[in-house]
Amino acid sequence: MLRVGDVVTAYGQLEALKGVSVAAESGKITCLLGPNGAGKTTLMMTVTGLLKPKRGSIAFEGQELVGLSPSEIVARGVALVPENRLVFPDMSVRENLEAGAYLRRKPAEIAADLDRMFERFPRLKERAGQSAGTLSGGEQQMLAVARALMSRPRLLLMDEPSLGLAPLIVEEIFRIVAELNRDGTSIFLVEQNAHMALKVAHHFYLIEQGRVTFSGSPGQLAEDEVIQRAYLGSKRG
Amino acid sequence: MLDLIQNTIDGVMIGGAYALLALGFTLTFGVMRRLNLAFGAIVLCGLYAGAAAHQALGWGLLGSIAATLAVAVAAGLYVERLCFRALAESASIAAMVSSFAIWMQLEEIAALLMPRRTYAYPALSEARPWEWAGLSLRPDQLAMAAVALGAMAALGWTLRRTRFGLAARAVATAPLAARLAGIEPARIGSAMFLLACGLGGLAGALIAAVDSQVTIKFGMWAMLKGLVAMTLGGIGSIPGAVIGGLALGVIESNAQWYLGAEWRDIVAYGLLFAVLYWRRGRERPWTNS
Repeated sequence: MLRVGDVVTAYGQLEALKGVSVAAESGKITCLLGPNGAGKTTLMMTVTGLLKPKRGSIAFEGQELVGLSPSEIVARGVALVPENRLVFPDMSVRENLEAGAYLRRKPAEIAADLDRMFERFPRLKERAGQSAGTLSGGEQQMLAVARALMSRPRLLLMDEPSLGLAPLIVEEIFRIVAELNRDGTSIFLVEQNAHMALKVAHHFYLIEQGRVTFSGSPGQLAEDEVIQRAYLGSKRG
Repeated sequence: MLDLIQNTIDGVMIGGAYALLALGFTLTFGVMRRLNLAFGAIVLCGLYAGAAAHQALGWGLLGSIAATLAVAVAAGLYVERLCFRALAESASIAAMVSSFAIWMQLEEIAALLMPRRTYAYPALSEARPWEWAGLSLRPDQLAMAAVALGAMAALGWTLRRTRFGLAARAVATAPLAARLAGIEPARIGSAMFLLACGLGGLAGALIAAVDSQVTIKFGMWAMLKGLVAMTLGGIGSIPGAVIGGLALGVIESNAQWYLGAEWRDIVAYGLLFAVLYWRRGRERPWTNS
């Protein structure tokens, strides 16, 4: 579904991705685990068109994404739940969801999806008229997921959905991830929380210092080792 | 007491126009994080076009206002292409400095084409003031305030109820997340820039129609009123721009009455410094918009 081939992305002279190749299969949950600064967020921003890679290719359902604008990439069916959620704080929960459907033009379908989101996330329904900035961290994460889903993506990207959330909330978020996947959404998520990510992933990668250092299914590598490398990287471990 | 009420009424009337000028800055600042220093010159170009249509073609009030709006938006397009879109990637200071240069250029062109000190602008209303219980109300000022209020209500509706408004608020508060939703900040910014120029043109037309004239100094004057009103209400806030505009009008008219005409601007600028000092570092674009 998504094939990232030998992507190099740099900030000025500094290469954050040094030739990364990963793939996400249709109908599956794929995880990319790695420590801070390994290049996880850079990869997400490159796939969504916020950053231009120096070289490499990113194919989604056989079509090249490199060179397209973020808006064109959303239109093709790839949506990102960004790191730190980035809800629109001064807009209501409902308006946040409507903004997620910005590129869609059929009001009846948008309204139906809005109802579906409220069904799936009852907490958001309770707070539909409240400004998003007043929600708790977990609620904001759900809102960010629902907002991304409002664009009807075929592939949902998630950048550290567990960041800064209490363990119970993290469990709830990952339960939602698994549910979404069961309902047919393909998911590619980057995480530092290896323990939770390995529970839901069908396939995972380790990324360290801008390079993919492992690719396999959960169970192929001892969880202790994955956790250590996801938090610290193997070089220092 | 009666004087205070009368001054406050007069202040609210002109304050509505100040609020539109302040909104012109706030809208651009919110979406683009840029200050458009050519704003006053853009309004001036519109007003000169309106005055020229009145004088050379005999156009009436509505025709002149239409000419003012059209030329203000056209001048806005010129400034946006030259200073803002072309420099979208560079530091905001570059857009600000280049808009300052365009301010000078536009004013110079206006002065060369129409070199007289003042030009007549069609009057908003020549009806006599209404008197009631010692208070007087000028119908033209009332019309100015009513139109300004109507424009603000329309703007509020646009921001709250339309797809464009939703996108603009998204860009103003979380530009990265807006891009991830498929919103293109550059496009929204250009549209908002032109909308701001239209509002500025409308404010200028209302003020010129109350004064029945326009001078080359209007651009500078409109810039200062807009910037002071925006700052008084809290830089970047939309309701703040409205409140700041009304407050500036009321403060000015009271200062003029109680302290003398020469104090009108001194008090307003003194207040500006005070607000800038107290509120330093607390600007936040479009909060509670």
